Amino acid sequence: MTLRRAIAAAALIGGAIAAYLTIVHYSHLSPICTTGGCEKVQQSRYAEAAGIPVAVLGLFAYAAVLVTACIRGLTAAVVGATIALAGVAFSGYLLWAQLARIHAICQWCVGNDIVIAVVAVLCVARVLTEAD
Amino acid sequence: MKRRRLLLLGAAIGAAAVVAVVLIVVVSGGSSESGASTTSADTTGSTPSSSLAGIPQHGATLGNPNAPATLVVYEDPQCPFCRQWNVDTLPTVLRDYVRPGKINLEYRGVVIIGPNSVKGLRAIYAAAPQNKLWNMVDALYAQQGAENSGWITNDVIRSAAQQAGANPDQILARMNTPAVTAQLTRAAKQAAADQVRGTPTFVVEHPPALSQQLALTSLEPAEFDAALSAALQQ
Repeated sequence: MTLRRAIAAAALIGGAIAAYLTIVHYSHLSPICTTGGCEKVQQSRYAEAAGIPVAVLGLFAYAAVLVTACIRGLTAAVVGATIALAGVAFSGYLLWAQLARIHAICQWCVGNDIVIAVVAVLCVARVLTEAD
Repeated sequence: MKRRRLLLLGAAIGAAAVVAVVLIVVVSGGSSESGASTTSADTTGSTPSSSLAGIPQHGATLGNPNAPATLVVYEDPQCPFCRQWNVDTLPTVLRDYVRPGKINLEYRGVVIIGPNSVKGLRAIYAAAPQNKLWNMVDALYAQQGAENSGWITNDVIRSAAQQAGANPDQILARMNTPAVTAQLTRAAKQAAADQVRGTPTFVVEHPPALSQQLALTSLEPAEFDAALSAALQQ
């Protein structure tokens, strides 16, 4: 139960970041940024996948992880871990894109990277400990 | 039992890898040009619009100073969305609202992107005594580069001033005066009072109604027009 609560809390934090970036994307406003590169990252082609903002994908992913955290059982744990691990891999790619292709860092993306990594660790731990 | 869990975890990692690869292929499968360069590439070489021609300027105010309402425009010269609004939507606002005398515009420059914005804002406010502030804004957007790349240099300011029809020497001489510093400080305080969280932000002042920030879903001309029209009717 503790792990599930921790996953849910982390997913809510990640969801809040994704929601903020989604709002910024659709309102065409500048995100609050201390790293100076947020708009550059947001306007790059890496900010969308097939026309869907990656922030929206993140929002759905965190919502899905949150749902799995609310459900008992190994199946929900495995589904949650799959989503979180996919998120980590994709976030890692986007971090590489920021550093190697866009040459700008978005603080919100880095914050998301940290949160999704925490979610993934918790989800893997859950798979290894969750009751059947 | 533990073996089964490890197998499930392996399956989860495999499925996650497939999902991630699909996403990466989709994201990287677009145009081969670097998206990172779009900001500067799209803007370099564009020219200031001529839509300001013939509209009176008094310092930071554009249009009839006695207009019944004021649209306060908070911008940062490094902000790409601000540039987009100036290029795509400002001409429509000038045609439909400013030229007929329904509103005037007041520029308030704020630092959102980074330190290089301060230099740009100093140049912009230094153009105010020549009543060329809005032309200077326009001319700097025409040369806008990547955020915090240091593109706002004295050479760019000189070139923009010439394009704006202002005296470059006077602007460069005035940029670092206490008067310009005071204008930046005042704009920052007004931004805090108006709860400006990003740029561009628009506030409608239409006495006796209270000032209100425009709630926008898009900066496109039609949607901006609808929001501004609604705010002015209140």
